[in-house]
Amino acid sequence: MIAPGIKRGTAELAVLSVLEDGPLHGYEMARRIERQTQGSLRFTLASLYPLLYRLEKRGWVRGAWETSHTGRRRRCYRLTSEGKKKLSPIRREWAELFRALKRLTNVSHA
Amino acid sequence: MRDWAALVEQRLAGLVLEPEERAEVIAEVAAHLEDLCEEMLRQGMTEEEAVRRALSQAGDWQDLRRKILTAKRGEQVMEKRVRQLWVPGFLTLILSMLFLTALQKFGLRPRIVWSGSNSVLLYMPWLLSLPFFGALGTYISSGAGGSRRTALFVSVFPALALAFAFLFMFPFSATIELITGRPVDFSRVAIVLLRDGIGWILVPGAALLAGGLLAHAFFSARPSSRSTAIV
Repeated sequence: MIAPGIKRGTAELAVLSVLEDGPLHGYEMARRIERQTQGSLRFTLASLYPLLYRLEKRGWVRGAWETSHTGRRRRCYRLTSEGKKKLSPIRREWAELFRALKRLTNVSHA
Repeated sequence: MRDWAALVEQRLAGLVLEPEERAEVIAEVAAHLEDLCEEMLRQGMTEEEAVRRALSQAGDWQDLRRKILTAKRGEQVMEKRVRQLWVPGFLTLILSMLFLTALQKFGLRPRIVWSGSNSVLLYMPWLLSLPFFGALGTYISSGAGGSRRTALFVSVFPALALAFAFLFMFPFSATIELITGRPVDFSRVAIVLLRDGIGWILVPGAALLAGGLLAHAFFSARPSSRSTAIV
């Protein structure tokens, strides 16, 4: 189980990463992240929507109402070009952190 | 068919946004809950249980409302100003003044620079402590997200507060003297202003600013918390 503090830090990366594959509405996004992380990362309403609104405010994602084939209106989010640009450095930072942690844990178990 | 928008609106009452923006948030959260509820129904849950569990997914609705407001509006300007400016500023002022009072209680005598009526009084240990207080103010302000300008303003806050007190005190005492009919000696006022300005404002201000600048240089040279923070 991943501690809430770590999850908070990864939330931005998780959302931007799933949006890289294409536009999604909030519920789809939460389900996809949960599925792809095998339940390790779960978004609640309180963690997902405030984050989406913050990312939208920064201009990294853009939300727009769309009508699905079932006739339902859902607000779909897309990664903007600004968001795409931000994704790589965030990925690099996290990869660096994971490598550092791996080195640390390897050393301490040596 | 359940009216999810009404259920959400009821729970997010007090979400102070523009009507259109508020309606969008409510519709979006309602759509999320509707999808979640439908999925639970597909899994064989009763409608009542599915609705209950979907609504409980929000956890604390007040917290959700607060988080949405903060995300949509950004932090309130006043809150930001209090955390980045007033709290560290007054803390720096109070701590530095308490330290001076403590030093005086322990019998510290000011060092007199230039003798005679124009002597400038300098409390050396206090002056030497001021860079620390300036650095502390800068550290707290920067930690609260204050800009460089705000953080440095905070570092010299005690000197600015004293300057304000002096500037207020002299016109006030001059007015009293005018009312009581005593002649106002403006040259004497100017000398006192200059003398106390040096001992209580300029020199302490420089010491505070030095501490603030050092702290700012030190903390801004550290690697960004962004690259290591996992919270």
